[in-house]
Amino acid sequence: MAISSRQQEGFTMPELEYMAQCESIAIVPLYRMDRLELVRGTVGPFRPPQKTEVPLWLAVMLKRTNRCRIVAPSWLSYEHLYKLYKREEEPDSLFTKLPQHYLEIAYMLLTHAEDDVEDSQAIRRLLQDLREVRQSKTQRGFEMLNPTQLQMDNLSAAEINEIRPLFRHSFDMLRQLDALASAADGTQSHQLQQLQQYDDSQPYSELDDAFSPSSYLR
Amino acid sequence: MAKRSYYDIDDILAGQERVPCVLRVDLDGLGSAGSGAASKVHRDARWALPYWMADRLNEEDYVDMEVSPVFSKRANRMYAASPESIQLRAICQHFYQFGLQLGDVVPEIPHVLRSMYMQRIQRVARTAQQGHNVEALDFVQGLDKTEARMLKLCQQAESAVADWQQSKAHTLKKASVVSS
Repeated sequence: MAISSRQQEGFTMPELEYMAQCESIAIVPLYRMDRLELVRGTVGPFRPPQKTEVPLWLAVMLKRTNRCRIVAPSWLSYEHLYKLYKREEEPDSLFTKLPQHYLEIAYMLLTHAEDDVEDSQAIRRLLQDLREVRQSKTQRGFEMLNPTQLQMDNLSAAEINEIRPLFRHSFDMLRQLDALASAADGTQSHQLQQLQQYDDSQPYSELDDAFSPSSYLR
Repeated sequence: MAKRSYYDIDDILAGQERVPCVLRVDLDGLGSAGSGAASKVHRDARWALPYWMADRLNEEDYVDMEVSPVFSKRANRMYAASPESIQLRAICQHFYQFGLQLGDVVPEIPHVLRSMYMQRIQRVARTAQQGHNVEALDFVQGLDKTEARMLKLCQQAESAVADWQQSKAHTLKKASVVSS
């Protein structure tokens, strides 16, 4: 099958968005509805003032047809994100904890349910800042490049996807070079060993000859 | 012999790089294959043969293969001195692939390539993130095929999120092969 070079390198953003749609989110339904039997499980029943957990895609669908109000997740608030941003900005800090699909979820909520998110404009700006800070941090992580492993905790799916081609190919190259180097060193040290053995055996060989069992038996 | 990929076109092209050889036998009627016009070539004549051929003939003792000028001692010192300012494309289009193939013939190549790759690929990553600027132009023009492909992949990955947020990701586009 012909797939584009971008798809060979990992996920595309629409694919990641699709995956994020399976995350569950709380909604407040506006109409009464019975429980829904879905392939991945049952959701509902929907009783208007009560919160219900549904997959994100269903939440967006209901929201579009004005049948629910989405409850924004706790991390998607200005205070929380600002705190994370401040922590992220500190020198030598690690990545802060955010949901695996934070970028996709935030994008979808801000596009389809902007009225359910408080301070949506400010949050939009803050998310962009947060992303840039984290990006420059991954950039610094490139200096730790080595052929065995790379550790960056709390990186989200989209961010991993962004650096995937670089690490995939450079791991491959470094691994090949290291294999070659160790092979070259191996033959060298092997030759050296043989040489040393030869040197070691030299002074004893004449002595050994005189007392060797073979000469004794002869 | 390093592990080769049969279907990798870059690997095949890298094997096309010529290496200097010294002939060990007299050859009759093959002068036109080498540099001279005479029909007969004598032993000790110097020939520049593609690596894939030189390697084989070297094994069978028809020629003595010498170290390619791309990886001579002097060149290696140059690479170690300023890895980022070297115009690899001018030296050898498939520099790293060729180096990998030569790796078991010249033992210091893996070390030279490794430190060079580490430094240059970090610059490639930085360049991809900064977007187009004049400063990096010299560097970008001096990239070999491996690095140039990496730069393109990084740039694509970099723009993927922005394209998606501007909902360009869902639209069909003309392939770059067709449009250029």
